[in-house]
Amino acid sequence: MIAGDLIDVEVRDADGERLGYVVDLRLVLDRPPEAGAVLAGARLHGLVVSPRTRTSFLGYERTSVRAPWPIAQLLRRRHRGSFLVHWPDVASVPSLDATRRGKGAIVVLRRGFDRYDPALT
Amino acid sequence: MRGPLAVALGILTAIGGFLDAGDLVTNAVVGSRFGLTLAWVVVMGVIGICVFAHMSGKVAAVSGRATFEIIRERLGPRAAGANLVASLAVTVLTLTAEIGGMALALQLASSVERRLWMPVAALAVWLVLWRVRFQVMENVTGLLGLTLIGFAVALYLLGPDWGELARQTLQPAVPPSEGAAVYWYFAIALLGAAMTPYEVFFFSSGGVEERWTVKDLATSRLNVFVGFPFGGVLSIAIAGCAAVVLLPLGIEVDAMSQIVLPVAQAGGPLLLAVVIVGLVSATTGAALETALSAGYTLSQYLGWSWGKFRRPAEAARFHVAMIVALVVAVGVLMTGVDPIAVTEYSVVFSAVALPLTYLPILVVANDPEYMGEHVNGRVLNAVGTLYLVILVVASAAAVPLMIVTEAGA
Repeated sequence: MIAGDLIDVEVRDADGERLGYVVDLRLVLDRPPEAGAVLAGARLHGLVVSPRTRTSFLGYERTSVRAPWPIAQLLRRRHRGSFLVHWPDVASVPSLDATRRGKGAIVVLRRGFDRYDPALT
Repeated sequence: MRGPLAVALGILTAIGGFLDAGDLVTNAVVGSRFGLTLAWVVVMGVIGICVFAHMSGKVAAVSGRATFEIIRERLGPRAAGANLVASLAVTVLTLTAEIGGMALALQLASSVERRLWMPVAALAVWLVLWRVRFQVMENVTGLLGLTLIGFAVALYLLGPDWGELARQTLQPAVPPSEGAAVYWYFAIALLGAAMTPYEVFFFSSGGVEERWTVKDLATSRLNVFVGFPFGGVLSIAIAGCAAVVLLPLGIEVDAMSQIVLPVAQAGGPLLLAVVIVGLVSATTGAALETALSAGYTLSQYLGWSWGKFRRPAEAARFHVAMIVALVVAVGVLMTGVDPIAVTEYSVVFSAVALPLTYLPILVVANDPEYMGEHVNGRVLNAVGTLYLVILVVASAAAVPLMIVTEAGA
């Protein structure tokens, strides 16, 4: 699986209710470096889900970026209600078949998953 | 080269390099139909291009990265991809207009048919892109482009009623012979001509080519805020010449020879020759810049190695992209389309693409991860945001106005 198989994909909860779309992946670099590599290995921490739009945050998910004010407001409004869901709370990812066809790909979350604040500082 | 001489050279190059086929044609057309009643749009466009060129130059100098690389990184593949398609389409259309402009200017100098000049012009552009150093290329076309000052000289020699020209400029009104929709259509065309999208991609990539650092910020600022306004003055002089000579005679510009008619009338063959040199170098310079911009944007989006500071073999796909753009441009022109018409359409479609081009620059210039302490200040952001609103309105109105007015007919 690659990042492109997850980004833009529709997200549903265990009851099949639509929650939004995957707009970003959060990675943490805390694994031991792979053989011969200098940097720490990356681990998928979670998915950022936005309820209404597939468009990107354009970097405004960082609370320190507030200018120009109207653009920041507009993007925050578009993405209000976004949440971060941890990777272990993801029950299923799109099947290879759905990804290939480019249709019917969905991410399903576990019952009782936790919503976290997607903001970065 | 360092010191004041380099600064002066930079400013002169910016003045000479400001004008391209879009500016030449649109200003002459507008002058011949509306006098100087649309000069305010040129002023507005120059302020806009100064603000956004400054931002993109700053991003290049501080982060060492060209605008489109950061657009791709910050906006993600899809938003940046939409941006790429729009920018690339407009840039190749502008390149087509510039090659056409070169051919028309060369036809004016030689009386040899324009379609014979087109492949020659494109080949010359390619040879320069392949062989000539970036700085030499910029300085030669920029300095020779300065001869377009001939339009200002011609306006002075024509001895116009300055009071009347000033009144048209300062108290603009739709001339009785023209409708309001046509007036606003040409206002958008002028805005598109002054703020053509390729300029910022070229400016920021040029900064990387010339290895700007934070130390070069002051020079970059001077080039932009002194050079571009003088270029704008030349734009208005072109419109002024057309307003004084062509407007009273009821001549509407649809050929390159009509653009230079006032110059010939005022200054005779000598001044005409000087201005034709200016036309050839301005269109050549812009053809080089648009061809490079096509290569820059595509390579930066796809992560190919790019730049004239690398040998062509080290940036092969970048050079192939430019060759393809040139072939497309010549191919379009060879169908027999009127280069002046292509130019008029190119500036309007530029206006359509403007918000897409300038929004990411505004966003990136505010990103502390790239810009550190050099993020935009409040004033620059306020002006930038105001322009973005204006550009969105102009962009949305452009195509409807084009249909309603039958492209300004």
